[in-house]
Amino acid sequence: MMKRALMMFSVAAFAVLGAWSLSLAQAPAIENELYLITPVSKDVHDPMLKAFAAWAKKKYNVDVKTSAIPKGTPVAYGQILEWKGRPQADVFWGGEGTLFDNLAIEGLLEQVQLPKAMWDAIPASIGTPVPLPLKDPKKFWVGTTLEPYGIIYQPTLLKRLGVEIKTWEDLLNPKLKGQIAQCTPDRSSSSHASYEVILQTYGWDKGWEWLTKLAANTGIFTARSRDVPSVVAKGEFAVGFAVPSYMAFAEVLAGYDVKFVYPKNAYVTPEPMSVLKGAPHPKAGHAFIEFCLSEEGQLLLSGLGVYPITPGLKVKGPEGSNQEKAVAFTGGMRSFFETEIGNVYDDKIAGEKKRIEDVNAYFRKEIAEKHKEIVK
Amino acid sequence: MTTDAAAPAAKKRGKPAGGIHVGGLLGYAAIWAFMIVFLIYPLLHLFYDSFTTDAGDFTLANFQDFFTDRYYLKSLMNSLLLGVGTVITTSIIGITFAFLLLRYEFPGRGLFTYLSIVPMIMPPLVGVMGFVFILGRAGTVNILLMDYLGFEKPINFMYGIQGVLLVETLHLFPLMTLSIVDAMGKISPSLDEAAESVGSRGLRKFWDITFPLTTPGYVSGALLVFIWTFADFATPLVVGVDDLLASQAYLNIVQFVDRRLFKMGIVISAIMVILAILFLIIAKKYVAIKDYSSLSYSVIERKQIGPAAKAGVVVFLGVILILAFIPYLGIALDSFGKGWALTPFPVKYTFQYFERVAFETPKFIINSLLYAGISVLICIAVGVPLAWVNARTKLPGREALDSLTTLILALPGTGIGIAYMRAFREPLPYFDMAFIGMWIVIPVVLGVRRLPYTVRGTFASLQIVHKSFEEAAESVGATQMTTFKDVTLPLIWKGVLVGSLYSFILALQEASATLLLVVPGHEMMTVGIFNFYIGGSVNEAAALGLILIILGALCLFVINRVAGSKMGGVFG
Repeated sequence: MMKRALMMFSVAAFAVLGAWSLSLAQAPAIENELYLITPVSKDVHDPMLKAFAAWAKKKYNVDVKTSAIPKGTPVAYGQILEWKGRPQADVFWGGEGTLFDNLAIEGLLEQVQLPKAMWDAIPASIGTPVPLPLKDPKKFWVGTTLEPYGIIYQPTLLKRLGVEIKTWEDLLNPKLKGQIAQCTPDRSSSSHASYEVILQTYGWDKGWEWLTKLAANTGIFTARSRDVPSVVAKGEFAVGFAVPSYMAFAEVLAGYDVKFVYPKNAYVTPEPMSVLKGAPHPKAGHAFIEFCLSEEGQLLLSGLGVYPITPGLKVKGPEGSNQEKAVAFTGGMRSFFETEIGNVYDDKIAGEKKRIEDVNAYFRKEIAEKHKEIVK
Repeated sequence: MTTDAAAPAAKKRGKPAGGIHVGGLLGYAAIWAFMIVFLIYPLLHLFYDSFTTDAGDFTLANFQDFFTDRYYLKSLMNSLLLGVGTVITTSIIGITFAFLLLRYEFPGRGLFTYLSIVPMIMPPLVGVMGFVFILGRAGTVNILLMDYLGFEKPINFMYGIQGVLLVETLHLFPLMTLSIVDAMGKISPSLDEAAESVGSRGLRKFWDITFPLTTPGYVSGALLVFIWTFADFATPLVVGVDDLLASQAYLNIVQFVDRRLFKMGIVISAIMVILAILFLIIAKKYVAIKDYSSLSYSVIERKQIGPAAKAGVVVFLGVILILAFIPYLGIALDSFGKGWALTPFPVKYTFQYFERVAFETPKFIINSLLYAGISVLICIAVGVPLAWVNARTKLPGREALDSLTTLILALPGTGIGIAYMRAFREPLPYFDMAFIGMWIVIPVVLGVRRLPYTVRGTFASLQIVHKSFEEAAESVGATQMTTFKDVTLPLIWKGVLVGSLYSFILALQEASATLLLVVPGHEMMTVGIFNFYIGGSVNEAAALGLILIILGALCLFVINRVAGSKMGGVFG
């Protein structure tokens, strides 16, 4: 009797053990939570997180709870420093490669873990005469998509003012006095990068002269870069400076009437992505990167007003699809690799810590603090 | 918290004036422990941070940097001026309201009394958004002026300091009205009669009786309005005003790239806290949770006025209230309107924004209610015994507790948020996680910030229940337990409830401290509003704002039913 019971027990025990080890083998390959810290606005990160959750369910059979901490690039960057390797987020997404390079030096990033083919499909750089890196040779970050920081305007208001906008120079038209909305370069990296484009086009002194004239036409310095397209779409201000194309497109999708201009040499961001070292859910983080660069992820992105980062893919969809609307909105371009992309932004100059601080300090002292006098 | 919760019962069994049980003393110690850990320590940490270098050495350089920087000084000046300006405008409107509502009889008086408190229900950011929708450059009013009346350019109501003043005034005048109504309600009619019997009438009577007796209420109302304006960073940011102290503190602290600026954010917060303490000391003579005890609110006899005067009063109140309700209209329109731009009203309407914020992601509403609920429990557990200690005992240190409670009212939210950020960032022992990484930090900071309202509500009720009631019950042989159950409790529960409801409404609306402390994945409505707004989803922000306003209005309605308009004292 005893013996039999023992045997039954051991059989049962083995069965349980076996099932357990089997389930271990198929154990969820990723964690069931994912936190993003990102300057990429809700218009894009929200659909991406939702689609990722569905993708992860299909691929790993895990229900991933996703959430995003929306912060401007400089703020997100500072927050990550402040976390000191104990981050409350898994993935940092968006901004410029230079800040990611700095974080990598601080030892706060993990190396990207991507299938080799996926990594290799992304070109090392884009743009002439200055090449702009699309991925980190040391593998601490990878670009996810392409989009220019350009100009947004409200066509009705602009018509009323009798102004046309095609180039950067058109922003200095005195008729636009008080009509321009922009964010400050110390709060917004799109603004910072666009300031650098102007500074590297004209040189430091002439560049600031130009930017001071821009400030003279500026009616508001918004709290965040995403406010710029918001206030233009609403008609509060006629023109917005340094706006990522997808934010402008998001306003169109929301039912507002706005137009976008991609001026010459405008900064093109690869929206870098990286898993934070010490992240609470690193596997989910790496899976998210893989999802973003998968064809499914790239296709989804291309319907949100940004461009694929791989030359193989083009923005294309059935008639009336968001993809086609996006192409029409940004002037008929289907891929960043079709034409020559102008770039003067040199990240070796702009990325240096001291340079970043110099630009911000100059802006603060000479433009922000004197804005009321400049407008006069 | 369990020891705190057990405390009041234990204490109330003790002798009212002196003898305290051990359990009671433990409860008292627990209150102190709560205040030390969650109020004093973070503030000290903030001061420590602002007086040291990153390496931890003592320095005054940070303050020197502040006081030699032209821009910061200008911001300080602007903030002080804005605060004083708002006190003046809210005084004019608030006092007029209080006098009209209390002293005169006119049609719709009851309704006006209720409506005049409503503008207080305005979550941060939502008010200014609503105003911009109606009064902005492309707001309803300007569009009407340009499209139908041939104006060439929009009138700039909003973008600039005038916009901030407008928003703060129409939001905060009810605080002033409540404080004055409360103070005037406590003037016994017998005093009035006495004055009149010796020939003091009109202005003379006002100067001799009304003015000195309403001063404490007025001063505390003014202090609250001042601090509120002084600490608000959301409103100025929307209308493009950066040169204010609160905006600078916020902008500097949320940008971490430049360590010097980050430090300056901390220093500015410390300066704001120091200034708040300073204002409090100046006003100390008038502001404390104690007030001039009277057995009950007096019934003020209202004067009858002629029909012309009646019409004038109704028009005046009506116009101010319409102005104060502008943001509600703006928010309601934008939360239903799709693609609303450059037309007086939205052309297309939709329910999709409510679907998104209430059904697709219900977490905002759930978290808000949960955290505000927990914070009210904290308020009750700490606040009711605290008020009781102050009203009924002579325990050493109770004066200090009183001062601390009042200090909380004066503390700018940004300051306390940053203080928590700095003080609780190291991982806790056994948890391997910092306190600011756990969601419980939110209800705790809300509980601390909204504690004074519960304390005041309870205290005011305990004052109205004059000790003589309890003594009378005891003199005829009732035990202390019976006295508490049969006399005190039935008389104070309303006060506790009303104080707690105020704590609840204001916890729901809090954003300045919690915005800095919110834990990813645990966002509440106010944080949602902020995130939607800065994420470009203005309509969703408006929809969430509208839901929050409706919740607040419901609570206010309950308060109104429970207490009438007599509970202004929680603010005074």
